[in-house]
Amino acid sequence: MYTCFLLGRLHDLDEMRLDHLDEKKGEGSMKKFLAMTMAVVLGMVALTGCGTSNDNNGGTEGETANADIPVIGISQYGQHASLDNCREGFLKGLEESGLEEGKDFTYEYQNAGFDDNIATQIAQNFSAKNVDLMCAIATPSATACYAAAEDKNIPVIFTAITDPVKASLDTGNITGTSDKLPVEAQLELIRALQPEAKTIGILYTTSEPNSVSAIEEYKEKGPDYGFTIEAVGVTQQAEVLQAADSVIAKGVDCISNLTDNNVVGVLPSILEKTNDAKIPVYGSEIEQVKLGCVASAGIDYIALGKQTGAMAAKVLKGEATAEEMPYETITSFDTYINSKALTDMEITVPSDIAEKAIEAEK
Amino acid sequence: MVFLDLLISTLTQGFIYALLSYGVFITYKILDFPDLTVDGSFPLGAAITAVLLVNGMDPYLVLLISAAVGALAGLATGFIHVRLGVRDLLAGIITMTALFSVNLQIAGSNLAVERAIDTIFTAKPVMVILGPMSLMMRKFIVTLVLALLVKLLLDLYLKTKSGLLLRAVGDNSTLVTTLAKDKGTMKILGLVIANGLVALCGSVVCQEQRAFASTMGTGQVVFGLATVIIGTTLFRRFSFVKGTTAVLVGSVFYKICIQVAISLGLPANLLKLVMAVLFLAVLILGEKKKGGAKYA
Repeated sequence: MYTCFLLGRLHDLDEMRLDHLDEKKGEGSMKKFLAMTMAVVLGMVALTGCGTSNDNNGGTEGETANADIPVIGISQYGQHASLDNCREGFLKGLEESGLEEGKDFTYEYQNAGFDDNIATQIAQNFSAKNVDLMCAIATPSATACYAAAEDKNIPVIFTAITDPVKASLDTGNITGTSDKLPVEAQLELIRALQPEAKTIGILYTTSEPNSVSAIEEYKEKGPDYGFTIEAVGVTQQAEVLQAADSVIAKGVDCISNLTDNNVVGVLPSILEKTNDAKIPVYGSEIEQVKLGCVASAGIDYIALGKQTGAMAAKVLKGEATAEEMPYETITSFDTYINSKALTDMEITVPSDIAEKAIEAEK
Repeated sequence: MVFLDLLISTLTQGFIYALLSYGVFITYKILDFPDLTVDGSFPLGAAITAVLLVNGMDPYLVLLISAAVGALAGLATGFIHVRLGVRDLLAGIITMTALFSVNLQIAGSNLAVERAIDTIFTAKPVMVILGPMSLMMRKFIVTLVLALLVKLLLDLYLKTKSGLLLRAVGDNSTLVTTLAKDKGTMKILGLVIANGLVALCGSVVCQEQRAFASTMGTGQVVFGLATVIIGTTLFRRFSFVKGTTAVLVGSVFYKICIQVAISLGLPANLLKLVMAVLFLAVLILGEKKKGGAKYA
């Protein structure tokens, strides 16, 4: 609807005619045209010029005061609790590896607002500035950074990518960490908390590769734990709540979440529906449990970021190259629980799980 | 050097997306048809490209095939609108929606093109001529040539009898009818050309980024409209400038605006606000010359 509205407005605004020829004006307008072109070019010189000097990381010219301090360009796909945690963890990881910000490295952070085109231009910006290392958070940013870094062979360290092999980001001067979901651990947790449960409902976006591969794994491993999987796909966020209604109507015993951006984005509304229907929802990471999911065997994105930061530190120190290091996955997972949500759903937590679980109630 | 590198890669982006802007120029500006098919035909071009490249097809041939398949998408929208009588906006929405699934079927939710696979920027003919240059310069030159070539072909076409009829459809469709020509057929032809160009743009983007993502079409129609309007507003007073030149500059200008916003080092979340302010400034300046606000 918004697009339609926009189109209408643009159309109204724009009534001009380009191709009416006015011979007399020809010469005068040519001069103006040249003047305007000059103004645009000069404006760009001024703006980009001041931009780079402000950031103080135009490393190529060797003229800036701290030109010898390595610069890291951090390109994050969008603002999102998990991705923010990755970035925070990444910087902590660098410091834990003995690198001090401002002394051993400086960084520039850019966020593409979930726009692939902007991710491309951010990566090109980093490449032009000849940053010493690019840190790419989420797949589209990593793809863009890798493409922009090809010419200058700048190392790229990624994080929050589920399947680096499928994204062709596993070979070359690139490495990082994968945030593949611990599907088996989650199935085990659900079985322990709901011994009687038979079906697990899952909502996912059909165009999110991470979700699609997670669904495949759920369907493959679900039967091992005695579950059938009832997966309902959507194409956009606007359809998620309808899909939630349909999953609830199918009479599932619980719902398990993925790290699907569209679904997680409307999680509070989903939880309202499931609370009414008394269906427990399991999260895929701590942020979702904080929002009211009963429990999760999930990734700690700060820990993932730290692991990534440690890898970047090795590259900066010259201990290893991104080319040599294979990408890493997190092998240990934490169990998060939300006691209030568990009580509401009348689920009792077995003592062995309760002991190691981390309380994530808000 | 930083500035030069930035300028070259930003111009390259502008040249690539100018192909899409030409397409939107034809539908929106010439045909007076707000075509939303773009959000679907752009990733369609990229999906076809990714699949064919992975299967080892010549990258230049892939460009043409992608454009041809994109043209089919335009044909679908045209058929739905003209022959089935569905409103213009809705016809585009229908094709765009269908293409989302089609693209998923063709290439899956995403598909990467490995570095070992040649693209239009690394294949033999380009390497023979531009071999010693850096990849960045090769991309710059190839996209510049492509943007200018398509512009020239389009300019030539618009001067032919068929091209003049196409322009008449948007300006004065009664004239077309009095000339005993079917304006519906001309509209379909316009949509076919436009979406061919949009898919061509998708193909180049896929070859440049070495990746296809099913969501890459989102917002492309808004980008296209913005560049067409910015371009034509910028050149409102310069009647000797052709519409195609204006949108080429509009596309470059748009990409420069984004790069300026990124380079300013503002808080990342303000990026789009800065872009909106830049666009508004351009549009207001363009309006002012003509004598103040029109909607007072």
